[in-house]
Amino acid sequence: MPLLRFDAVHKQYPGGRAALQDVSFAVEAGEVLFVTGHSGAGKSTLLKLLHLAERPDRGAVLLEDRNLAAVRGRDIARYRRRVGVVFQDHRLLPHWNVADNVALPLRIAGAPESEVLPRVREVLGRVGLGDRLSALPSQLSTGEQQRVGIARAIVGSPVLLVADEPTGNLDPQLAAEIMGLFLELPERGTTVLIASHDLALIKRTRQRTLVLHEGRLVDDIAAQDLAA
Amino acid sequence: MSANRSAARREVYGGPGVGAWGRSHRRAFADAVARLRAAKLATAATLSVFALALLLPLLLGLFLANALRFAGTLDAAREISVFLEAEADAADARRLADAWSARSDVAAVALRTPEEGLAEFKQMSDLAGALDLLDGNPLPWVLVVSPRDAAVADPAALAAALQAEPGVESVQYDAAWRARLDAWLALGRRAVGLLALLLAVGAVLVVGNTVRLDLSQRREEIALLQQLGADDADIRRPLLHFGALLGALAGALALAGVFAIGALLSAPLAELVATYAGGFALAGPGMAEAAAVLAAAASLGWLGARVAAGHYLRTSLPAGS
Repeated sequence: MPLLRFDAVHKQYPGGRAALQDVSFAVEAGEVLFVTGHSGAGKSTLLKLLHLAERPDRGAVLLEDRNLAAVRGRDIARYRRRVGVVFQDHRLLPHWNVADNVALPLRIAGAPESEVLPRVREVLGRVGLGDRLSALPSQLSTGEQQRVGIARAIVGSPVLLVADEPTGNLDPQLAAEIMGLFLELPERGTTVLIASHDLALIKRTRQRTLVLHEGRLVDDIAAQDLAA
Repeated sequence: MSANRSAARREVYGGPGVGAWGRSHRRAFADAVARLRAAKLATAATLSVFALALLLPLLLGLFLANALRFAGTLDAAREISVFLEAEADAADARRLADAWSARSDVAAVALRTPEEGLAEFKQMSDLAGALDLLDGNPLPWVLVVSPRDAAVADPAALAAALQAEPGVESVQYDAAWRARLDAWLALGRRAVGLLALLLAVGAVLVVGNTVRLDLSQRREEIALLQQLGADDADIRRPLLHFGALLGALAGALALAGVFAIGALLSAPLAELVATYAGGFALAGPGMAEAAAVLAAAASLGWLGARVAAGHYLRTSLPAGS
């Protein structure tokens, strides 16, 4: 059974053209998957459907065989606790230090305080910021801020992590470092879905890639084909 | 998903129950304290307005309560002085006193001899010299009748009944003065109640507006919390603690104001009251009343925050709801 499935998903915004048209694909647990395409191709809409920021007009999105259309009301918050999200602009709380920013999903979920800090230390160590717990976001470089954003997204061991242009503001070297972090996540049981228009980065990373064009899924490129 | 991953996830998120509920409230309280400390000026302004809104009805209530207590001490105003005819002697006076003491609407009857009356008259007036020139004592026997509780007996009716008794020259009972005082006190009670209600609404609006401003400044933060899995209760909880804390602090300030003003007015008020009815001390709110004020103020703050947070959450539903 795939972890994630899109079945003939169609989404149209009021007054606009279709953002997604009959998009179907499946993702196995432990995959790292890119979604690429030009601006307006439907990448962000696809991620919004996964984060329940939008709903499909037709078709179904299923996570662990559960139709997300059934996730309503208070269940939306519970669902979002199981899906990590990395934003292009980090969205760190500026007056909170690194540790408190990363701890946010755990505290929202009601984790005991005795478990929060060890967990935060562990995750920040994994992204190479184990010595910056008390730093404020303004004291960090752009790359470090993005690492904090990733640490916050994975601290709760999400089943799925979605990232919207996570390397959009980074130079190639930093982008490669960030991608390295994403590629480690499947070992810990997190499936990763990254929206990016950076074809060079996608080719270097060599992971399965979905290509969207004007809302349609026009290609599903396997990792080995990208390597060619 | 493997069993190990499920277990790890449960370990991180913790299970539902009292523990998680308690943790969420402890964190919400810490967040509320941080909010109060972060905006010192705004907090001070809100606290001042809130405390003043509480102080005014509290002070009026305090003075009203003391006025009621004072009125209760004015038993002299409830006593009926019955002047017997000049021919009445001690035997007549004692016979009437015994008869009236047996009445169900009479609490006590005190005899005042003409000699006692004369001595008191000399003491209270500047006519001592003139009174010494009189051949005899012109004052009659007086029976001072204390009616039972007004709820049980009607002093005015009793006064009328005593007036009709044989051997009675006249009866002195200032019923109108007493009725006017009672009416004023009843009006005061009602006015304080209405004022307290109006100011309570004002206090709720003040806290609500403070929370509304706080929410509008934290719009992006709240959107992020929602994206990370916070539900309405998670967003609302720290705000409710904030409102209740603000209310409790305002209540404490208002109580401090009441005690301070009470202490300042106590001495001159006691002097004033002494000219009417002797010993009287201004009494402030007791422990139970102070606790009730704190609880009520915290509830008003909580309510203000609840209204503002509820309105915000209704008008800014997270996407996908």
